[in-house]
Amino acid sequence: MSAPDLSVRIGSMLMKNPVMLASGVFGYGDEFMGLALYGDLGALVLKTVTLAPRVGNPPASRTVETPAGMVNSIGLENVGVEALVRQRLPIALSYGTHVVASIAGDTADEFAACARALDATEISAMEINISCPNVKTGGMAFGMDPQASSEVVAAVRGATGKPIIAKLTPNVSDIASVALACERAGADAISLTNTFAAMVVDVETRRPVLAANSGGLSGPAIRPAAVYRVFQVARAVTAPIIGMGGIWNASDALEFIIAGAAAVAVGTALYADPEAGHRVLAGIRDYLLRHGVESVRELVGSIELRA
Amino acid sequence: MTSREAESPREAESSARRQRWRLRVPVKQSIRLHADHHRLVLSSREIASAAQPGQFLHVWPHAPEDVIRPPFGALLRRPFSISRVSPPDEVELLLRVRGIGGKLVAAKQAGEMLDVIGPLGNGFRIRDGLRLGVVVAGGTGLAPAPFLIERLAERGARVIVLAGAAADQKVPFAVDRPRAGRASIPALAALGAEVTFVSEEVEGLLVTDVLEPRLGELPVEGGAEVFGIGPRAMLKHLAAVTRARFRLQVSLEERMACGVGACRSCVIPIRQGEDGFTYRTVCRDGPVFLAAEIDWGRLEA
Repeated sequence: MSAPDLSVRIGSMLMKNPVMLASGVFGYGDEFMGLALYGDLGALVLKTVTLAPRVGNPPASRTVETPAGMVNSIGLENVGVEALVRQRLPIALSYGTHVVASIAGDTADEFAACARALDATEISAMEINISCPNVKTGGMAFGMDPQASSEVVAAVRGATGKPIIAKLTPNVSDIASVALACERAGADAISLTNTFAAMVVDVETRRPVLAANSGGLSGPAIRPAAVYRVFQVARAVTAPIIGMGGIWNASDALEFIIAGAAAVAVGTALYADPEAGHRVLAGIRDYLLRHGVESVRELVGSIELRA
Repeated sequence: MTSREAESPREAESSARRQRWRLRVPVKQSIRLHADHHRLVLSSREIASAAQPGQFLHVWPHAPEDVIRPPFGALLRRPFSISRVSPPDEVELLLRVRGIGGKLVAAKQAGEMLDVIGPLGNGFRIRDGLRLGVVVAGGTGLAPAPFLIERLAERGARVIVLAGAAADQKVPFAVDRPRAGRASIPALAALGAEVTFVSEEVEGLLVTDVLEPRLGELPVEGGAEVFGIGPRAMLKHLAAVTRARFRLQVSLEERMACGVGACRSCVIPIRQGEDGFTYRTVCRDGPVFLAAEIDWGRLEA
């Protein structure tokens, strides 16, 4: 059998393989430079930016490790879209693979303004972060409501011709209805999940460990919950899904793909292994060879439910 | 060149190409010391030649091959400051066997491999022609001191070490207490430093108690600089008492995840403009900062 076909399409973004790096963990791309050949991956999603720079939440602590996971509350600290375009994007683009910008805002107009600022750049797609759990206003509110989500997606749709990806929060009772609203409003793809709302308490002081009191849980601890949400969303929409949540190796990634994801993103695992994405990719290739599957696309949503 | 005078470690880094690697390196020595201290000597020519005092290694605490399996605990790498390097290849870490990360790393035996990323961060910057370096260190802050002392001495500076801890056992080196005179740390004195050590338990003194009278005796002219490593309360005090007369570089610690500046977990406030501040990462912009650039009022104790 010849080499398996790993290419996947997210809107007009044709990726050479389905492995991406999730927004946030990879910063703006320059921080990890030299630790692996990140151009080998399908796409790199940059840290979320807003229209104006944000200072984020207070430190001590912004991150805490938990069993098989970590809880973070950075609070959308970012350099702002202008500095991203001017200073950071050229370095991210130099990896030679697709770069996806992630945008957020307090209003639909702010999302749209970010999208306009990025429309003329070399990025391949935009991810709309309507799911950050770590800001007091905006972000979370949009992703928790189908109507508000669709308004943001529609505003961004009107601001750019690039593919747009709606990134969903799992912290809702009916994630499929949010996904459907985003698709109907013009999203080319749906990515999920962002982190699960979480809290860690220091029992000696009776204070939360995070300065922001609560944060978002990521890592292997959330994987089965994230896989199930991908499965639910895959039943509701026809747009391609980018699955993520605790992916550590190829088997984890394949769970998402079989449950319905066209592509996957590696997040927290990058902090343990800067080559986690490369390992996942190599493992997917091995799996396809071993199972005689010609294209990774054949696996998408190929789950065989038990009776 | 007056512009170099004001150069912070971070600014210096941006002009020089960062050399760092993700490597599997063999453990050469793994020795349990007194109390819960542990010495680990790694072998890496790359790291030994590139490392600067104040830099750290980001260590995967499990077996290298287990990086493919998500661990239940200790999911993240652990930062350990580099204690000393000995050409051509020895890189020494002084750990505390405390918490899951320290226990896992200290359990490595000679001959086993360790997955490390480094050297990371911006270390202490030693200016040309520095005549006197005063190293003020508290408790486990002493771990990176040997590397700094050695480099200061190599550059021809006189080195004075003022060290303190809650008790002798809290220091990762043996403390020498002569019948008469001040206590010392022979391992640091052997590197060419004049060492003064005080403990709360024996002398009833903090390092900050002996600092002020000593600073007053020191010559400023001819280039003297203070280097602080240790608890934040000590560094804060140090910044206050040195501000008028000495340039001060401090090494800070903060909870980290990525180790390379991407996740923005380990930020500290840096002065900006009149009353403003911005956050910089300890892992990438630090761990060594100029005391004058830190917003001490906003820095949590």
